Amino acid sequence: MTDHATPPDGETPDDEPPDGGAPVPTDSVDAALASLDSDGVAGYNYAYLDEHTKRELRRSMLKAVAIPGHQVPYASRPMPLARGWGTGGIQASLSILGPDDIFKVIDQGADESVNAANIRRLAENTADVSTTTDTTEADLIQSRHRIPEEVLTDEQRLVLQVPITDALRMVDSSDAANRRRHAHKNYGKMWVHLYENVVEYGEIQIASRYPTMVADRYLMDPSPIPRWDVPKLDDADHLTVLAAGREARIYAVPPHTEVEPLAFEDRSFTVERFPGRACHACESTDTYLVEVSEGATESETDTFETRYTCNDSSFCEKRRTNPGIPKDHHLDREGVDWGPELSDVATDDAENATERGGNDE
Amino acid sequence: MGYVAVTAGEELVERAEQLFESQRVGDTEDVSVDQIDEQLSRLTARAMGEGGLYAPRLAALAVKQAQGDTVEAAFLLRAYRSTLERFDESVTVDPSAMIASRRVSPAFKDVPGGQILGATRDYTQRLLDFDLVGGSPEDPTAEWDLTDEGDPDRLTNVTELLREEGLLHDPDEPDVDDPADTTRESVTHPAERDEVLQELARGETGAVTALGYSTLRGYGRVHPTLAEVRVGELPVRVEHPYTGDDVTVTHTNVTESEAVVPVYEKRDDPQFAFGYGLTFGRNERKAIGMTVLDASIQLESEEAPAENAEFVLDTIDGMDSFGFIEHLKLPHYVTFQSILDRIRAIRERRGLSEDRRVGPDDQSAETPVSGTSDDD
Amino acid sequence: MTLLEAENLQTVYGPGCSRCIESTGDRAGTNQCSHCGSVVACAEADLGVEAAEVLGIVGESGSGKSSLAELLALERDDDATTAGDIRYDGHDGNLLEVDYETRHDLRTREIALVHQHIRDGLNVAFTGGGNVAEKLLSAGHRSYEEVRERVRELFEETEVPVARIDDLTHTYSGGMQRRVQIARALATDPNLIVLDEPTTGLDVSVQARVLDTFRRVQREEGVAAIVVSHDLSVVRLLADRTLVMRHGRIVESGLTDRIMEDPHHEYTQTLINSVI
Repeated sequence: MTDHATPPDGETPDDEPPDGGAPVPTDSVDAALASLDSDGVAGYNYAYLDEHTKRELRRSMLKAVAIPGHQVPYASRPMPLARGWGTGGIQASLSILGPDDIFKVIDQGADESVNAANIRRLAENTADVSTTTDTTEADLIQSRHRIPEEVLTDEQRLVLQVPITDALRMVDSSDAANRRRHAHKNYGKMWVHLYENVVEYGEIQIASRYPTMVADRYLMDPSPIPRWDVPKLDDADHLTVLAAGREARIYAVPPHTEVEPLAFEDRSFTVERFPGRACHACESTDTYLVEVSEGATESETDTFETRYTCNDSSFCEKRRTNPGIPKDHHLDREGVDWGPELSDVATDDAENATERGGNDE
Repeated sequence: MGYVAVTAGEELVERAEQLFESQRVGDTEDVSVDQIDEQLSRLTARAMGEGGLYAPRLAALAVKQAQGDTVEAAFLLRAYRSTLERFDESVTVDPSAMIASRRVSPAFKDVPGGQILGATRDYTQRLLDFDLVGGSPEDPTAEWDLTDEGDPDRLTNVTELLREEGLLHDPDEPDVDDPADTTRESVTHPAERDEVLQELARGETGAVTALGYSTLRGYGRVHPTLAEVRVGELPVRVEHPYTGDDVTVTHTNVTESEAVVPVYEKRDDPQFAFGYGLTFGRNERKAIGMTVLDASIQLESEEAPAENAEFVLDTIDGMDSFGFIEHLKLPHYVTFQSILDRIRAIRERRGLSEDRRVGPDDQSAETPVSGTSDDD
Repeated sequence: MTLLEAENLQTVYGPGCSRCIESTGDRAGTNQCSHCGSVVACAEADLGVEAAEVLGIVGESGSGKSSLAELLALERDDDATTAGDIRYDGHDGNLLEVDYETRHDLRTREIALVHQHIRDGLNVAFTGGGNVAEKLLSAGHRSYEEVRERVRELFEETEVPVARIDDLTHTYSGGMQRRVQIARALATDPNLIVLDEPTTGLDVSVQARVLDTFRRVQREEGVAAIVVSHDLSVVRLLADRTLVMRHGRIVESGLTDRIMEDPHHEYTQTLINSVI
């Protein structure tokens, strides 16, 4: 397959080769090898993927937007990142990024995470985009397991990396059976799981990947975002695309779509609690915090001190220089409904008591 | 604490890569791509088979770059291949066109064309050969007295003999005119047999071997008799753009295996079921493992792991499993915080709560929290 | 008031041909078509069920009674070709032609089936309570306490020890599993329950107690039932009216007492004589 690469003389190549593809020299293996001696990405198409693949991804995304919460299969390409490390997310991002876009990548809330840095570098090198760590400046945000603390707008798109595409996998490992359940909107087995959860533990013990109904039709795995972030998907201004590389599925929550976590009327959905805690750096009490263990003294390693810190490192940075700015500080309206209700969570809700329910915009 | 602090971004990523590369360079003479291609062909065979790309020199390069990690090498090949243009599709080739350099049939003592032992260490003792430490440049076959007997005969496939007698139950034939391409269309369960065979052919050697073994070990019903295993060269044929004739452009080295399984599909017409395996390069263990799995999956049962197509296909791919297993190294503090919240809430409800941290010495956490095993 | 009225119900396994009907049935003495080899599991079956009435269907295995019961319970068998017309009180159109959603809804709220085989009807990896709760949750109940209370009530009603409510179903005895199935069937107050061979796999003493329970609950709830059994004594105990089936056809029908005391069809006579 290496010797007949050049099209016959006199014939111009078709408008579009059968499978798109990047112009990589294939006259001989040695030439191909020689081209690989360059710094890595020079010979590749704009935004790494060939145009055919990007079109296919965009079509899948459109389909996903048209059927909110429904998993759309697509031909996930092998990427130069390991599967499970954001290959679905980066395929989705690369297929909708343009050179004027500003791109932000976060991994578990942090822009500085090495894997986020690696993904950002791939987009920078191949798609010629500028990057930012500031949520409010980004046109496209690719994230692993967090929705930023700052309110996303209708001009922004969020791509969430998805490890496991089906919420029903929790109760049945068979995709064939689960596809039937989705087709029939038959979620009895999931409900029994929640019922038996309450029977056994007194409350629902699902931590992240919380099963969530989209537009009252499809049960969706919102990716392992914490429960804290799930309410942000409901009636959001922005588009969320959820993409899985390994499992080759894309689904979406379009703007202003109803998103409701499964729960009982009398055993309601609860978010993570941080009673009496505040970020040790910016003193936030209305953000998702994570515990950090640090050696109390330099010499003794067996004593620890637990401190809480904001998980969204870029917003934390802002609050450190500008204490107490609200999550909607960049918008021209106030009191935007974003994130969980904090009434029984925050210790002092003098500021920033975002209310849910009275959504009157 | 080290881990959380490892978030310095781009520069750190580059430094780590440089350190890794320095391990490959070492203090000794550089291993050439040619040497790997020639002397470590089992490694390149694995990389090509699992990568789904027949390109021995690229595979050798990948093995070199991956420092001998064949799954990583297969991954490099796949990622590279996915950026290449597809010019054409080759003509379907009949495996009996193979020029075999090795062929053994465990089913029959004598088969048309005979048993060809070929190059193998199957029957020699596995003793470390310390002479290799100093290098052994001599070819032990150099002194062989060989006569040219012309082109070898085509070998009739052993299963062909059984098929002629009507003893073989043919599996549901895939639509050979237009087989699915699972690198371009994602597999949706239940998968068709053409998809199953493709996924198995690209399966990770260890996984194919282990799952194939599981059914022999008692977790399943398939215990096949191999009709034959062969290694040889298969022509790659394409349609000539001017003449329209099929022309052979090159050959691929492949390992093929076929097996019969005494599972009787129909009571009134007992026949053997049939399993098939084919992989790039010399990799008999994978070809046989694939054969067992192909036969096993056709039973369409959920009783044994290897009989469940969904289970096998979901776990067999090296690139998928390697990526997801290793992703566990990525930070998980958001999800772990969420799990901590659940477990503490439930302990509180049961009156078990003490205000102490959940540390490695805390073995009393008895409530399993879902989402721990399968959160990303 | 007629709750359900069915006409010309038919289930065929195999390719089927124009002569299937004439070449099978009571007179032909077989249910297999001699022309195309298809098995006519049931055909030309007309029947009606009144509200709160119990209709028995009796026959030997292969007589077509289970096929008939599956049609009436809106079960679908992809291997079979079915035809006929089922009208149901308060519903427009033929129940055999409804889409999946409607069928699912009808099966959740209106017509419940108690399967012959436990594993077809219960998820043994769920708790006993979970199996009953599933029916309520599928019907849209969203209050945990209300679901819980209703499950307890149903356990009491069907005489399953409430203490076992949170044990896994596979730890239950056969009789308890059958009772849980009945509890599950009753959960959403359906108007019709189809019981397929309710005594399969139960000891004789357990059989009697399960049937007693069912008879009591059926009367208390005023729910109509179709009881399918090869066992005349089951039908005699439960059914107001009875259909006798053979070779895929209904060969006799009437009040259960009349059929027991004055069977008209020769086959029914043999059936009764062989029991007594």
